[in-house]
Amino acid sequence: MSKLIIELTINGKKRKVETTTSTRLLDLLRDDLHLTGTKEGCGKGECGACTVIMNGELIASCLILAPQADGAVITTIEGIGSSDHLSPIQEAFIETGAVQCGFCTPGMILAAKKLLEENSHPDEEEIKRGISGNLCRCTGYQKIIDAIKLAANRLPSEDGGRGEEDA
Amino acid sequence: MHQRTVPCQGYVAPQKIEEVLEILSKYGKEIKVIAGGTDLLVQYYDRLYEINHWLDLKNIKELKDSRINKNQMEIGAMVTHTQIEKFEDIKKYFPILIQAAADIGSPQIRNRGTVGGNIVNASPAGDLLAPLMAYDAQFRLLSIQGEKIVPAEEFFIGPKKTILEPTQLLTQIILPLPSEKTYGCWIKIGKRKALIIATITLALVVEMAEDNKTVKDVRTCLGSVAPTPIEIKEVGEKMIGKKFSELDFSQLGQIVEDKVSPIDDIRGTREYRKDVAKNIMINALEEIDLAYGGSINE
Repeated sequence: MSKLIIELTINGKKRKVETTTSTRLLDLLRDDLHLTGTKEGCGKGECGACTVIMNGELIASCLILAPQADGAVITTIEGIGSSDHLSPIQEAFIETGAVQCGFCTPGMILAAKKLLEENSHPDEEEIKRGISGNLCRCTGYQKIIDAIKLAANRLPSEDGGRGEEDA
Repeated sequence: MHQRTVPCQGYVAPQKIEEVLEILSKYGKEIKVIAGGTDLLVQYYDRLYEINHWLDLKNIKELKDSRINKNQMEIGAMVTHTQIEKFEDIKKYFPILIQAAADIGSPQIRNRGTVGGNIVNASPAGDLLAPLMAYDAQFRLLSIQGEKIVPAEEFFIGPKKTILEPTQLLTQIILPLPSEKTYGCWIKIGKRKALIIATITLALVVEMAEDNKTVKDVRTCLGSVAPTPIEIKEVGEKMIGKKFSELDFSQLGQIVEDKVSPIDDIRGTREYRKDVAKNIMINALEEIDLAYGGSINE
């Protein structure tokens, strides 16, 4: 195992980190940068708790070697909203009761963010597909789906608020 | 253990394909090529094997290109499943490849996992493998000695085993463009829709003759039913030259059931897989029957 230094942009800030060739991006975020909003569930890319956005794509940070993330631009849950100003997606999750134990929530919010960026008014099937890489063991998903629909209706949309005609 | 110093401090991500080939020719057995890592890293962190040196292909731009070149489609080995899904030319000519790519894992996995990785990993359950075989795929293998082009059916030799040598790199997947009267059907059976390793997959591609009624060619390829993805050639003998409307679907399903050799495992028993192989073959033939509308015009 060799040491090396990588540079990456995390939530808008440039960071330089000493790491090893076998460190997972997940561990680098949590242990080296103390960004513990990103969770570890299965460690096999199946549960989505470790989801972050890397170079504009939703990825499982447990399946990335730290040096693979050298030069990458990464958004973690810490980069979405702030405690004073939550993002509309976060507010929608709270309002619909889509947060119970909260362990899946960071990954769910990032999956929802990516989905709504690509498709501002997803239908139910599209929402299910968008969060298909994220497991939740509390909510039964319905409240999460409701939250994403609510957020879609509130986010500024380019098609003149088609969301109103839903339901 | 024999240890030689690989001059890349455990991890290297070359910019040029020539550098990759150079490194492979010197250290092929001691260095592990990594593409998306969605299979490899699961195995690595399960400590199924030790890897001391990584050769990352992420910076090699030419491996991410796809294009139509004369009468064939060329897909770079580092193209991700998400990119396959969005590629208009693939949608037009190879629709079941798109359906299979869309059925892989989850958004997170499709964003990282690559076509080349799916091939080289050579799982009997690899989702793209049956569709690639059904479309007559060939693989371009490069080494400093030169290039070799190998048909998909010769590439896979066992579960997780291929003819790829440690000094060779899979760079491209080559698919001949099918005729307009080609119809396909993809069926994946698993315990859930997302993030499931297939219990069985079927890729059926049927090419009709000019009259759009007579079967000119057929490829019936299955995954998760044998040590490698396989083609059931006997289906061709019963179909080629016949009118599609005159085919006996349940007889063809029976041939598939008889010819597959699945095992019992965590995802399904041998008996279950044989039953399902027959049934999905019949379903696929019915779907193609609807898609080409042959029987309606009789």
